[in-house]
Amino acid sequence: MESLEPVEGQVVKLGAEAVITAVNWSGYELILKRRVEKRYRRPEIDEAVRRSRTAHEAKVITRLRELKIPAPAILFLDLSSSSIYMQRIKGQELRSVLTTTPDEQLVNLAENLGRIVGRMHKGGVAHGDLTLANIIIDDRGRPWLVDFGLSVFTTELEDMAVDIHLLDRSLESTAPEKREQFMRGFLRGYEEEAGRGEARAMLSKISEIRSRGRYVERG
Amino acid sequence: MSRVVCLGIESTAHTFGVGVVDSEGRVLANVNRTYKPASGGIHPREASQHHAAVAAEVIREAFREAGVEPGDVDAVAFSIGPGMGPCLRTGATAARALSLRLGKPLVAVNHAVAHVEIGKLTTGCRSPVVLYVAGGNTLVTSLVEGRYRVLGETLDIAAGNCLDSFGITAGVGPMPAAEKLAEKGERIYELPYRVKGMDVSFSGLLTAAEKLLSEGAKPEDVALSLTETVYSMLTEVSERALAYLSREELLLVGGLARSKRLMQMLEIMCSDRGARLFRVPDEYAGDNGAMIAWTGLLHYLAGDVIKPEESRVRPRQRIDEVLIKWDNRG
Repeated sequence: MESLEPVEGQVVKLGAEAVITAVNWSGYELILKRRVEKRYRRPEIDEAVRRSRTAHEAKVITRLRELKIPAPAILFLDLSSSSIYMQRIKGQELRSVLTTTPDEQLVNLAENLGRIVGRMHKGGVAHGDLTLANIIIDDRGRPWLVDFGLSVFTTELEDMAVDIHLLDRSLESTAPEKREQFMRGFLRGYEEEAGRGEARAMLSKISEIRSRGRYVERG
Repeated sequence: MSRVVCLGIESTAHTFGVGVVDSEGRVLANVNRTYKPASGGIHPREASQHHAAVAAEVIREAFREAGVEPGDVDAVAFSIGPGMGPCLRTGATAARALSLRLGKPLVAVNHAVAHVEIGKLTTGCRSPVVLYVAGGNTLVTSLVEGRYRVLGETLDIAAGNCLDSFGITAGVGPMPAAEKLAEKGERIYELPYRVKGMDVSFSGLLTAAEKLLSEGAKPEDVALSLTETVYSMLTEVSERALAYLSREELLLVGGLARSKRLMQMLEIMCSDRGARLFRVPDEYAGDNGAMIAWTGLLHYLAGDVIKPEESRVRPRQRIDEVLIKWDNRG
């Protein structure tokens, strides 16, 4: 008989604040994102921080689902253990398929991603960590956004521009030869959703952020 | 190569300091005088008057302590920024005068770079993420492609400023008073914990803590809640930076490096992730002349000297504006 309790499988990802584990729940493939205890913090502070961030992430994802943004659906939230059970997106990180995807398909993908991010920004959400590792391409070639641990509800141009800047920097370090055509496609899609004026303002904000020399790539 | 000697002048805020170092990494002198306001925070003009009054004496004392003749100095360094304009100008004026009189080149040093470099010199760490926390600065930085990149910083006030202000409101005075007070605290109040990526924000936290005081909460408890929250936030962003750059060394520098509790939290975090913590020794934690002298020497050996007419102070200079030519481990 299938267990009613989730069965934990392999660790999928080990981040600075959370552990992501594959989980089987009555035959469904899920992932469990659990914010782990930090021994350096007093328990009172540690619990409050993990609980509020978990709740925040769930709130953001709920909003994204309303906006029809492809983000993993939440099945269950357990604030007492700072855990979120989410839909598991079967696919690969964009960074590992970038160089193997044919150009034409990649441009389509970039435009599609641009539309998704444009819609997200228009809906008042910035991802906060939009790198190639946080975009998953599913088995049908569709992009999904994951990991909203740093995301914010915002209308600030700066927050949105940082998203696009991070994506661009991430391309630059992973597949510089694909960067230009990918970003061109991305911005076409972005402009379609967010509007021409917004996209323009965005570009000048990005160059301002660049000139500040912040947001370096992973070493 | 023969020994090179550099004299450095620090005067970004309340400390006027003169250091002398040599190219073997020896600190020959480190003489510092701190302006203490009768009450409240630092008034820039009063601090600069203090610096002007003690400058000649401190320079003489540094030469005496170092046991070098003025003619033995190869370069004169000063802190060009960031800092308070009037204070910076006093130090720059003294450095220009000395440079002209000795006929030795002038070297401009970024104050934040200097805190990092003296930390690297005195601890021997190689390729660290650096947490620089002080009264006026809060920065998470690391050397990447020839510059100290700003990974995270405060979005409003500095961590030290937050704790100093609280201490003054609570009637115990600036740090380490708030930390001492916290030792007697028992209860933790939930205060705004603001970490955004690798950035931190402390002003809401300070306001909330001061509000608790005005509502009659025990100062010890509020101090405990405040210090624990501030240090937790600093530790968290340090951990994020270590993970982000896949580094295994954390270097703690700046005046708040003297905090025992912050050190303890960073120790736990580092040991849990297999990283090593390095801490600048107490005498080089606060602002000091030796760090300017040492960084000036590194610049001088790399050929970075400036003309007096180009030595205007830069009160808002950022750490990532400076090209680091002497270390390619980042």
